[in-house]
Amino acid sequence: MTSGSTLWDKRRGIIRSRKGGWVIGRGGYISGYSLLDDLVGKVTYFQSLILNITGELPSDSVGRWGEALYQCMSFPDSRIWCNQVGALGGTLRASSAAGITAGILASDSRMYGPGTISLVHGFLSKGLAEYADGKDASQTIRNWVGNKRKQVSIPGYGRPLATGDERVVAMERVSKELALVVGPCLRFAYTVEQHMQEIQGESMNLAAYGTAIMLDFGWTLPQIQQVYAIVVTSGVAACYSEAYDNPPESFLPLRCEDIEYRGHAPRPVPAAGEEGG
Amino acid sequence: MSTDKPDRGQIQSRNEPFTARTATRICEETPSTENPYLSQACRYHGYELGELMRKRSFVDVLFLLLRGELPTPDQGRLFETLLIGLSNPGPRHAATRAAMNAGVGKTDPAHILPIALSVLGGNHLGGGEVTAAMAFLRRQRNKDPQVVATERLAACERPAEGDWRAAPGFGSRFGGIDPQPLSMAEQLQTLPGAGEALHWGSRFAEALKAEQGGWLLPAVAAVVFLDLGFHPRAGAGLFQIAAAPGLLAHGLELANQPRTAMPFPDDDHYFIEVAL
Repeated sequence: MTSGSTLWDKRRGIIRSRKGGWVIGRGGYISGYSLLDDLVGKVTYFQSLILNITGELPSDSVGRWGEALYQCMSFPDSRIWCNQVGALGGTLRASSAAGITAGILASDSRMYGPGTISLVHGFLSKGLAEYADGKDASQTIRNWVGNKRKQVSIPGYGRPLATGDERVVAMERVSKELALVVGPCLRFAYTVEQHMQEIQGESMNLAAYGTAIMLDFGWTLPQIQQVYAIVVTSGVAACYSEAYDNPPESFLPLRCEDIEYRGHAPRPVPAAGEEGG
Repeated sequence: MSTDKPDRGQIQSRNEPFTARTATRICEETPSTENPYLSQACRYHGYELGELMRKRSFVDVLFLLLRGELPTPDQGRLFETLLIGLSNPGPRHAATRAAMNAGVGKTDPAHILPIALSVLGGNHLGGGEVTAAMAFLRRQRNKDPQVVATERLAACERPAEGDWRAAPGFGSRFGGIDPQPLSMAEQLQTLPGAGEALHWGSRFAEALKAEQGGWLLPAVAAVVFLDLGFHPRAGAGLFQIAAAPGLLAHGLELANQPRTAMPFPDDDHYFIEVAL
């Protein structure tokens, strides 16, 4: 046995949790709080969610801010990729859990949704560090893009389908109403947005706005990703629900001719053992 | 630094030129004369489905669907041998345990496989690591594996506790060299279809031996997938397909057993390490 086995031997058959758990006969605990006595009915679901992830009970304002962020991602439009996955689950009568989680999983994407957060976080945190070293935002943008690319593409600026992002405007209103203070990361994000507006006509999207604020909350990348993980749930659920309420296979049905075949012409199958076709 | 919000213009559609029809090179469906929503014949990359069913194996058709051509006999043998090797991550693997938990927890059996495959998509010993290993091998394969290993060993971080990686798919497991992927790689190397990536990986793994590192299962999958011509993008999914039989079998084995058929740590083995 190697010395490295110590770690695993210490944990074999044992669970140690700093999150909490269920003490049978006493109740459930989250980071030292009694779920049923301290939290239920006293703080929002979102505060409990953030507590479960970060270990810190956030203020009511932060909880309401997180909930507003989720609301912004609740468009019930089944043309949107993750929502369409939910609708396809509904039309094939996948269970509600399967259909909706399939849509959530689809949002783990490089193009939109939670899958973009690591890139957005990487750009903002690197840029903020460079700013602290005296570089300005335009230099950070140039460094990120490199000299070879003509198109300036920065994670968190621009979005599919439309220019601008009305959700950011709504969240700015919410942040103001909740008296959330603009922190250094959001200030940096705005500076980048000014440059992006000038050179590319692109504005900050919701992922960048949300990530900047969550960075200003002091959350780590994994914590931000975990808070954001199921952000599309509501919109997916709507699309699943609508498809489920209609006859099976009636969501955006396709005739054979609706798929364009561009592959190999018909050919005979060689017998097994012969060289491939 | 400015704190001003930029003056944003109107939200406008980009009017992206979306196609009117989805195109595919994989499957041609011939519509029924009676009903345009039904197909009466189907071809995969030009091969009629019924003829494939009569003449070829499932593994051949899997290769065909993803590569566009049927495998040569050597490719088919290499692919099938690997798929058998990967067919069951074993009951201690976290993905299998997810399947077993779902089974004993009376989860709808239709969900056992998606649950386990989601876990198997991870970046540690999962599909994510297969893809990363394929990308690493593509970047390095023109270099001497011994030299790359020396560089990587010098640069790689060794955690105070837990396993380390010299590169995706190569390193330690439970503090030692995992013998299973090593023997699998050795067996695969004897096949006529074995290619450059497999040989490169073997030399790289050998160079890690003195540091108690070597092959991990994702790298074995990665080198064979590369030698068979698959793109790294396909790596995670192929790894998931390969492991699916074992994952499903272990999940189903527990699906009709009582919930006491798997350990549930009692309160003496569950420690809440914060003040209550």
